[in-house]
Amino acid sequence: MERRVVITAASAITPIGHGKDALVDSLINGKSGVQKIKKDDLLTDRVESQVFGTVSYPIEFDFKRKYRKTMGPVAYYACQVVKEVLEAAGLKKDFISSGRLGVAFGSTHGSPTVQRQIYEHFFSGSDERFSAIGAVDYLKSMVHTTAVNITKMFEITGRVISSSTACTTSSQSIGFGYEAVKYGLQDAMVCGGADEYDTTTVAVFDNLLACSTEYNETPHLTPRPFDTRRDGLVVGEGAGAVLLEEYASAKKRGAHILGEVVGFWCGNNGGDLILPNMNGIKATIVQGLQNAGLTPEDINFVSAHATATKMGDVAEAMAIGSVYGKGPLVTGLKSYMGHTMGSCGVIETIITLYMMAQGFVAPTLNLDEIDPRCSMIRHNQKLRETPIDIASIQNFAFGGVNTSLFLKKV
Amino acid sequence: MTRDDIKANILKIFETEFEIIDPGVDDNLTEEHDFDSIDALELLGEIEKMLGSELTRQEKKDSMEIRTINQICDYVVSLAQKRSLM
Repeated sequence: MERRVVITAASAITPIGHGKDALVDSLINGKSGVQKIKKDDLLTDRVESQVFGTVSYPIEFDFKRKYRKTMGPVAYYACQVVKEVLEAAGLKKDFISSGRLGVAFGSTHGSPTVQRQIYEHFFSGSDERFSAIGAVDYLKSMVHTTAVNITKMFEITGRVISSSTACTTSSQSIGFGYEAVKYGLQDAMVCGGADEYDTTTVAVFDNLLACSTEYNETPHLTPRPFDTRRDGLVVGEGAGAVLLEEYASAKKRGAHILGEVVGFWCGNNGGDLILPNMNGIKATIVQGLQNAGLTPEDINFVSAHATATKMGDVAEAMAIGSVYGKGPLVTGLKSYMGHTMGSCGVIETIITLYMMAQGFVAPTLNLDEIDPRCSMIRHNQKLRETPIDIASIQNFAFGGVNTSLFLKKV
Repeated sequence: MTRDDIKANILKIFETEFEIIDPGVDDNLTEEHDFDSIDALELLGEIEKMLGSELTRQEKKDSMEIRTINQICDYVVSLAQKRSLM
């Protein structure tokens, strides 16, 4: 059994805004969400990169203590976007708890804020080590904390998938959710990812010389995907969720359809865990197209992973160029908000849906001069009013994990 | 440390940590105040802080049937007596 799968609700918290109106406004007006890093007493004085994709506006979380008690910051983000998605979708309570709605949701590594508190206490020299780990610290910090806090808050009883593959976390969530609905294992899946403000991730990429450091005094000018003056990625925070539903039942209940998921592929480079791999990326795009039953000519927009690292952007451009040539418009959406890690795939999916609905394609921000080594694709350097019929969202992660997701306007 | 001190401390913990304000001393905390297994484990941590020492595994197991504020107070009194705090 293969069924059509559609997206019927979406919500995102990002460095460039919360909700559709704010996001679209930032895209149209070229607003950046990258800011100076917030000082902490642990790492920020030791890392060279001093920029961060920051959620700097207040969010009114209205969660009862019975839910809050097992939530770190990452779960607050996750539960908020899922709350908004379920409200927008208008699903009935008996369906939500029927076992036919599942959750596919993850983060890079749970809540580093809570983990940091635990270790600070361990290494503080305090004699009160018996109280170092609270009863709920593990529930707040564990790698599947987002998924299970969602199930608890909304009493979801279907299957739980909690990917934790860094930058492909939420694109896997959508892809695996899509497969669960497509093959009849679930009738609907709420899918996404989240990551909280975390300087340890900055330190990791900083040590690998992968972070942007030359724009510390002008944060809005970085990251610069595909640009000759790019100097690395910018770590960010955020969250996003989408509701996937089986098409016929979504139509029957009168749901508003934002787009159809028509294909997904996930593969691995099968080798180096860090270096980008053009062949691995290309294979994932090609297999994704086959899975979707599409040809390269069918695609008119590609949301590139485009972190703005020296090597990664070249490998990705070469892979896109070898499959699509200069056909589809290509935008690197991380140019607006940095790399939101576990949430980037779903945020880029949601932005693509918004652009699909409103008939425009946002440019890659800060792409002033295209690197000749990335010039074999059709870069989008200006805001265009143009329809998107079928789009591809691609993401790649440490560990050699690659994903490609294909969305169609319905 | 008296039983009244312990009761006052426990009620304060319930208010500040669990947002359960002035529960009846014989209320079933699970049924009437949504006090669940996670809260129970957190409460043990708070009791350790109150007593200034770690609870043994057996002492923790002994707490598993407790349902009311009065029972919690009795439990803490017995722990305090074992530690010569009363």
